[in-house]
Amino acid sequence: MDDFEILLKGSSEAHGHLCPGQVIGVRMAMLGCELIGLDKPSQLPQIKSLIVYVEIDRCATDAIAFVTGARLGRRSLKLVNNGIMAATFVNLDSGKAFRIRARETSRKLVAEYAPEVADERQQQLLAYKNMPLDHLFEVQAVAVDVPYNDLPGPTRFKNECESCGVIVRDKREIYKNDQVLCRICAGDSYFKGRT
Amino acid sequence: MRSDQTSLPQFVSKKIRVEEAIGTTLAHDITEIKPGLFKGPSFRRGQRIQSEDLCHLMRLGKRHLYILDLDDDHVHEDQAVLELAQALAGPGITFGSQPNEGKLALKAVYDGLLKINVDALVAFNLLPDVMCASRHNNTPVKAGTLLAGTRAIPLAIERAALDQALKISQRNHPMIAVKSYQQVRAGLIITGSEVYDGLIEDRFETIVAGKLSAYGSTLVDRVILPDDQPRIADAVKTFIERGLDLIVTTGGMSVDPDDVTRHAIRQAGVAEIYYSSGVLPGAMFQLAYQDDIPILGIPACALYHRVTIFDLILPRLLAGEHPDNRDLAALAHGGLCLNCRTCKYPDCSFGKF
Repeated sequence: MDDFEILLKGSSEAHGHLCPGQVIGVRMAMLGCELIGLDKPSQLPQIKSLIVYVEIDRCATDAIAFVTGARLGRRSLKLVNNGIMAATFVNLDSGKAFRIRARETSRKLVAEYAPEVADERQQQLLAYKNMPLDHLFEVQAVAVDVPYNDLPGPTRFKNECESCGVIVRDKREIYKNDQVLCRICAGDSYFKGRT
Repeated sequence: MRSDQTSLPQFVSKKIRVEEAIGTTLAHDITEIKPGLFKGPSFRRGQRIQSEDLCHLMRLGKRHLYILDLDDDHVHEDQAVLELAQALAGPGITFGSQPNEGKLALKAVYDGLLKINVDALVAFNLLPDVMCASRHNNTPVKAGTLLAGTRAIPLAIERAALDQALKISQRNHPMIAVKSYQQVRAGLIITGSEVYDGLIEDRFETIVAGKLSAYGSTLVDRVILPDDQPRIADAVKTFIERGLDLIVTTGGMSVDPDDVTRHAIRQAGVAEIYYSSGVLPGAMFQLAYQDDIPILGIPACALYHRVTIFDLILPRLLAGEHPDNRDLAALAHGGLCLNCRTCKYPDCSFGKF
């Protein structure tokens, strides 16, 4: 795996700016990969062994994706939006998994780890670089049984919506009124059509 | 299920040096003893050996291992169970990607009514070397709950036997599924002159509204009427005209002269009516349909018993089913509530068959 500063530079460019969230995300991802025994997560063959569950859709999430190579489109990045700055790193081959959560108490330690910086944002950024990992994160060994229909790889499940005919993949269909339906036709939609 | 005539598993094991073991599959458990701390298998039968395992195996004094060396006619239990689960899992069912001791658990993706093709499940279990155990058909289930477990029984199953099991599952698809509930707008007609005249306070509204909302449905209209057949019939017609999806009537289901509600439903022009069920509590239940709108007649027992026939039929109606007199009679087997001191329904025998 590349050096922290190289990863941070790349992550910030990919994300669009350098921010404390980038620092947290890069450090979290580096730690997560180390814990599950992956040193080149974004390269073959390790790219096929990793799944990352992120629990928030904010800056750190992009950094985690950059460092690990986990992507939504590759089905290796899963968003379980709990609104918590946390992520779980899963090695599909060994079954090892660790959930890493950013400690809220780390915010209070910012001045201690970057006393020379006056600007609040810059102070956070530097402090999160300097802070020992155990002050920054809480780490928990966990077990994650990734649903078979959520695994990367070829599409294993396809169903045709009996109402609109659209193909629904990966067991996202709903069985309602004796019909296999897409979520939209089943009434579980995030949008309303305009007439 | 294995018959007495079935031959023993015919996988082949091979002895290899530990250094050659990366990527191979262990044919046996390897026990580790840490004095005073731990004794148990550090490596399990069926486990694939990774590079990081070699040092550990060496430390345990292993220089050779027996590994599985399957021919093309056999499938390892972990691969077999993934194929079985894929074939068994209909809509609304998911399962993990990591078999545990050769087993996979099938779980609900969303809240709904569990549907099991019982005849097909029996046929599946009659085959050699596979099994699947499930919860009862028609059980209301929550997202994430365990519904069934399946496995291939030997460590290595014959490809032909596995294919036979897959064929049964595919021919009877979906073997196991969860039907999602419709969110209905319901109306309630509370009948009884004693309630209408204010002699006793109604308690049905709270009970019915609570049971509907537990399934995501809403009680949108309510009327209290005396035991007056024409007025009750008019209320039924009015609720139908208002476009409600489901109508519940309470009281007046017995055989006393003042119990006119079930007759009023017929007077409202409703033709499809089924009276009485094989369920206690709930024998004097009536289920009727007008233009596919269910009209339920709940007897007074629902005031006193936490769970009744109403709890058995409501989820099926909300799942879009159209139970009839045959279904009400079939509930008899398992239709006896044991009135347990602490009610565990639906995790009990009530309503299961």
